[in-house]
Amino acid sequence: MKFLTHEIGSLAKPPWHVKVSAGRKLLDTDIEHARQWGGKLNVDGHEELVELLRSDDFSDSQVAEVANWASRYALHLIESAGLDWVYDGEQQRTEMYAWAIAHANGFDSRGTVRSFDNKYYSKSAVTGPISLAEPYHNAEFEFLKSAAQHKLKIPVTGAYTLAIWSYDEYYGPTQGRLGGGVGRRDEIQARRAFALDIARNLIRPNLQALIDLGAEWIQIDEPGASTEEDELELFVESFNVSVEGLDCTFSTHLCFSDYHLFFPAIEGMSECRQYCVGFANYDSRELGTSAADRPGYDVISRFRDLPYEPALGLGVLDIHTDFIEPPELVRDRILYAVDVFGDPARIHVCPDCGLRTRSWDVAYEKLVNMVEGTKLAEEALSHSLAPAR
Amino acid sequence: MEAFVPGIYPRSEALVQATRDLDRGRTTPEAVDEQRRDDLEQFLAVQRSAELDLLAGGMLAWQDLFRPLVEASDGLESGALTRFLDTNTFYRAPHTTSEQLRLRAPLVDAYFPPLPDRNLVTVPSPFACSLGTGTAPRVLAEHVLKPALEGLTPELIVLSEPFLARSDNPDVDGLAEALGVLHGGAPIALWITFGDAAPLFDRGLGTLPVDAIGIDFYSTSVDAVPSGFDKHLLAGVIDARNSLLEHPREIAEFAQRLEQRAERVALVPNGDLQYVSEPIAREKVARLGQARSALVKEAA
Repeated sequence: MKFLTHEIGSLAKPPWHVKVSAGRKLLDTDIEHARQWGGKLNVDGHEELVELLRSDDFSDSQVAEVANWASRYALHLIESAGLDWVYDGEQQRTEMYAWAIAHANGFDSRGTVRSFDNKYYSKSAVTGPISLAEPYHNAEFEFLKSAAQHKLKIPVTGAYTLAIWSYDEYYGPTQGRLGGGVGRRDEIQARRAFALDIARNLIRPNLQALIDLGAEWIQIDEPGASTEEDELELFVESFNVSVEGLDCTFSTHLCFSDYHLFFPAIEGMSECRQYCVGFANYDSRELGTSAADRPGYDVISRFRDLPYEPALGLGVLDIHTDFIEPPELVRDRILYAVDVFGDPARIHVCPDCGLRTRSWDVAYEKLVNMVEGTKLAEEALSHSLAPAR
Repeated sequence: MEAFVPGIYPRSEALVQATRDLDRGRTTPEAVDEQRRDDLEQFLAVQRSAELDLLAGGMLAWQDLFRPLVEASDGLESGALTRFLDTNTFYRAPHTTSEQLRLRAPLVDAYFPPLPDRNLVTVPSPFACSLGTGTAPRVLAEHVLKPALEGLTPELIVLSEPFLARSDNPDVDGLAEALGVLHGGAPIALWITFGDAAPLFDRGLGTLPVDAIGIDFYSTSVDAVPSGFDKHLLAGVIDARNSLLEHPREIAEFAQRLEQRAERVALVPNGDLQYVSEPIAREKVARLGQARSALVKEAA
């Protein structure tokens, strides 16, 4: 019995990568970060990076080289923690929304909006017809294929999330909205046109480009999927339009939502072979494998009952706190899920979401414990399945 | 006709960067406080330039609508990150840890910065505070909100209420009881943000013990407001969730329609302006002021 483990997407960018990209001066502590983590993770040739970081100025090619080093480090961090399917923590991307929009035609930036606390994101408005300016994950994927020891799962921001996270200055009416002039039906129609244009004209050609390069597993990230309770069908439709007929394994990442809202809509999303979902954020930190012990996972039976039997990527790490989940807690969360599903093969193990808001120290410890907890669950199951003497 | 801007105002790019740097250990809390004071000065200047009638502090230090009150209270804790309505902004939903609720101490100046001139303050409505806590709105009003407002001398207290219009079966009587606890000092407005208030009128919204009611007119039909509405109507005519800039002429014409239904109307956004970036919010406030000025001139 072996559970598949994977990350979700983002990881914090190391300070030397951030500063070199921004043209800011490096401190000795930044260079020490590169030296220490290079040693800790056994990154081949990391001394070369340390030497490079001692430069006074960086050419464009050196900035790109530093970004590649960041990808190598992040890959090593995740591989070293022991995860099966990996990526580079999105080191080459600005951010999951901004990166996609920056490579699309039809959008204009509208500034910075708060996500929560002191976290923010750049938000754009759709202002014209949407098309793909250029495939925007090809370069990183090609590089990572050459650098990774483990298999690669590529995170790609989904059509519905790009639509719902954007302002609409093109599809909906621009005047006459005051006083109930525009009803909910009109809003949904406008969003449908918007999301499906993104699916057809931006996401789909980008996915095809990755498949042409040999992508095996693409994770469509949809953290915005449940934003509007009455648009779940639209989320499903945009996913289907994005992937229909493409030759690859597709999964979807959902997080920080009332997951009950997704049912029954996602019964129509049969091309989705796995849902990786954040649960730990809502769960207790106490040990135990009963339903009462695991309140954050109360919805998982609904994923179990989907007619096309997808796997469930079980979020077992709360990415919003520095609390390091003990392996035993990870184990109990997995064992509970296995008990509910009755089929361990349908359970994969992952964090709730990308770890970019945590330091590398915290992220690494969390991932190491996730793998350790997964092994404990495997052991517990192998004992329970062993024939009685 | 008046105009003002309750709620959480967006942070400038400089304050965004300062708070990011603070999280990453690159700057000090003092430096962030200084930038926040700069932001406040700029926001006040924007309001003065728009000739708004009441100044607001923009709640620039509030991490979300509830956090400062929760952190200053015994018996309340911040829970999981929760999506705020249909935005991509999240808040920590309050939950009750004890029946002995108590605001330990008044909120510091950072949360209610002293403002010159006539001003307003915004706090969450008791119904919004109570949602999901299992604690009655009246208890939160009595033991948290009322003590938090003591000592403040605004011209208007705005109770921000994002959830009432979206609740399937809201306990309006329970809210009325809580509002009664808060009544008696400065005038109180219940600001129904980002939602259709029409069904609430059928449930007695217009008879609640408050001096003013705020309505989101991007979600609510003008016909929902009863003719002869006898409270101060805070008309949400600036869409805080959309980057499209409003036309002052369209707002002014709409406000004239409202004046046929309500004796006293103030122009406000339909919710916190923090859902657009600061440059866009600044322009929206300017246009709010232009609409009001046009109406005042016409009336003269």
